[in-house]
Amino acid sequence: MESIKLKKITSVWIIAVLTLFVASIVLGILMRLNQGGVLHQAPITFYSNMTIHGITMIGIWFVAGMAGINYLMERYVKTSYTANLIALILTVSGVLMLWAVTLIGKFHTAWTFLYPLPLRVMWAQWATPTFLVAMSILATGWLIWGISMMTQVLKVYSIPQVFAWQHFKKDPAVKTPPFILISMITLVGVVTCLLVAVLLMALYFAEYFSKGNFVNDALLMKNLTYFFGHTIANEMLYLGLAVIYELFSEVGGKPKWKTTWYVALAWNFTLIFILTAFFHHLYMDFVQPEGFQIAGQIASYLASLPAAAVTVFSVWVAVYRVKIKWTLTNLLFFVGVAGWVIGGFGAVIDATISNNIVLHNTQWVPAHFHTYNILGNVLFSLGFFYWFSIQFTDKRVSEKLSRLILSLLIIGGAGFLLAFYIGGADSIPRRFSNYPAEFTTARPLANIGAVFATVYLIPILILFYNISKRCLKILFSSS
Amino acid sequence: MQQSSILLLFLFLMGIALIVFIYIFMSSKRADQGMSNPLKKRFWFFLILTIIMGIFASVTIPKSPYFAFADKTPAKVIHVAAMQFSFFLSEKAIDRDKPSGQKIELPANEVIEFRVTSFDVNHGFAIYDKSNRLITQTQAMPGYVNRLRYKFKEPGEYNILCLEYCGVAHQLMRSSFIVK
Ligand code: HEM
Ligand SMILES: [Cu+2]
Repeated sequence: MESIKLKKITSVWIIAVLTLFVASIVLGILMRLNQGGVLHQAPITFYSNMTIHGITMIGIWFVAGMAGINYLMERYVKTSYTANLIALILTVSGVLMLWAVTLIGKFHTAWTFLYPLPLRVMWAQWATPTFLVAMSILATGWLIWGISMMTQVLKVYSIPQVFAWQHFKKDPAVKTPPFILISMITLVGVVTCLLVAVLLMALYFAEYFSKGNFVNDALLMKNLTYFFGHTIANEMLYLGLAVIYELFSEVGGKPKWKTTWYVALAWNFTLIFILTAFFHHLYMDFVQPEGFQIAGQIASYLASLPAAAVTVFSVWVAVYRVKIKWTLTNLLFFVGVAGWVIGGFGAVIDATISNNIVLHNTQWVPAHFHTYNILGNVLFSLGFFYWFSIQFTDKRVSEKLSRLILSLLIIGGAGFLLAFYIGGADSIPRRFSNYPAEFTTARPLANIGAVFATVYLIPILILFYNISKRCLKILFSSS
Repeated sequence: MQQSSILLLFLFLMGIALIVFIYIFMSSKRADQGMSNPLKKRFWFFLILTIIMGIFASVTIPKSPYFAFADKTPAKVIHVAAMQFSFFLSEKAIDRDKPSGQKIELPANEVIEFRVTSFDVNHGFAIYDKSNRLITQTQAMPGYVNRLRYKFKEPGEYNILCLEYCGVAHQLMRSSFIVK
């Protein structure tokens, strides 16, 4: 069973994630207000805030997923506390460095730090090397954590078993729990994209220290950047799904989901497609080989098919005409799955090359990825956080407060997102600190977005207070 | 306009998803035996999704910009070089060391080819029509030349905006040309 140490470190992860989440939402609201003309930040401030908002959000929801699966994995295999602790220390160090780099050093490459932007110093001299070191520290910590979890699983299950290949035959002797299958498939993707991140950092360092003797290839660097960035942003969603497979039926008072041949098949396919879907970030680079472009569209479509069809359908089967004990946890999961599907529609539309030509780098992009984050993955992790925090007390969030939390999340989230979608359809560019006058709808939409984002922030603050309080208690209790 | 149909399609799909999720959620209130034959229904659900996606892919892939006017000879070639934070457009090749541009006028209803590159970081080259609709775009990447072909139907002034984040004045980086 979960050790005291694991409970405590998971509490620390949760408090850290929630704190950084609130801070980053505030930065997001400030960005929207600036775009709306209510605030007048210097562009460099806007873009530094945008950079740290993006990196922090990706980072925290990634580690939230990792902390979640680490905690639940202890039900099946012994996990390494040391690896978890190393990841925590390196994450905190890396994140503190990144906040200093952006807020003090004014580093502002956007979170995608597209080559060669980081090397064209338009900020404090120390910011570029510190940024590269911070990213390397994060990648190292997460690699250690991910590889450690994979190793621990492989001590109990063989390689064919972790991928559930024995389920392709009838009546397998050993059954792979869905949680193990999905965690492993996801960890393989996570480790792969982190290795690419390490390679990317090495190439940056090589050029940085070569004093002009070594120059990277912009197209290769872009491919590597999006292989890392796209993949990690997607895998973190699957970490959330692993948690759902483990907990959805349990908190509803139902028997656990089982792995079947089609669940096994779907997730094995997902492993492949998820690693090639990143090509859709380069559709507008016409020099990229056409085969990659078409493969990108097909992989993007296929990546959504198995995981979505199997997971979404399983959730429907689990709920349709079934007496379920609804609590805040599984309600967050259920709403999160709906948000994930809707964001997925926005993503598939954008991953269609002939649409991408009029959507690429418009607000359609933040529209769809914020959808499956703020109304998808974030809710998966919040569901886990809440479930974790109430395990050791009798106190629950009342039904009335649960309803209020969910309503505000949905209303605030939907309004914030619709402003982005409409902006995207109005051809308004993303990543503009201020809008040219000809975009007449841009400013009002930004302000509407800011108002709704503030509505979304209220339930987050309630949950922050509620969950952190309990986690602090776990942290300082002796058993 | 393409963007409006995209938004409508999205809202339509969102509506369907909402109806299904709300319906399923409500059904757990009048619970009885659960879904009958879930395996069979799952199969149909999966099949229908696959078919819809297959149709969508086979209709849209041929419309990809890489194939647009590929067999035509462009009536005019325009060289484009992007630099923080401006564009140079010229009918002649642009010199890296002394970049300079000219006012561009293009004929309507003829295939135009833009040869787009960058002299520093990545930029975007996005063309907006008179009503501020994004009509086509490509990226400006250092060390590479992207060839974008387009046939302008309407005469008038077209704006160019940078659609790849390139630094602190990214939002001010723009240019324009006339179609006659
Ligand atoms: C209510 C909460 C949030 C608000 C108000 C907010 C706001 C914003 C805004 C205004 C932008 C800039 C949009 C533009 O390009 O014009 C942005 C970008 C971004 N947001 Fe959020 N956001 C929120 C939540 C999240 C979450 C949960 C994630 C999780 C992954 C996230 C990840 C990002 C990323 C990756 C970017 C791109 C940054 C870049 O361009 O470098 N955001 N957000
Ligand atoms: Cu730019």
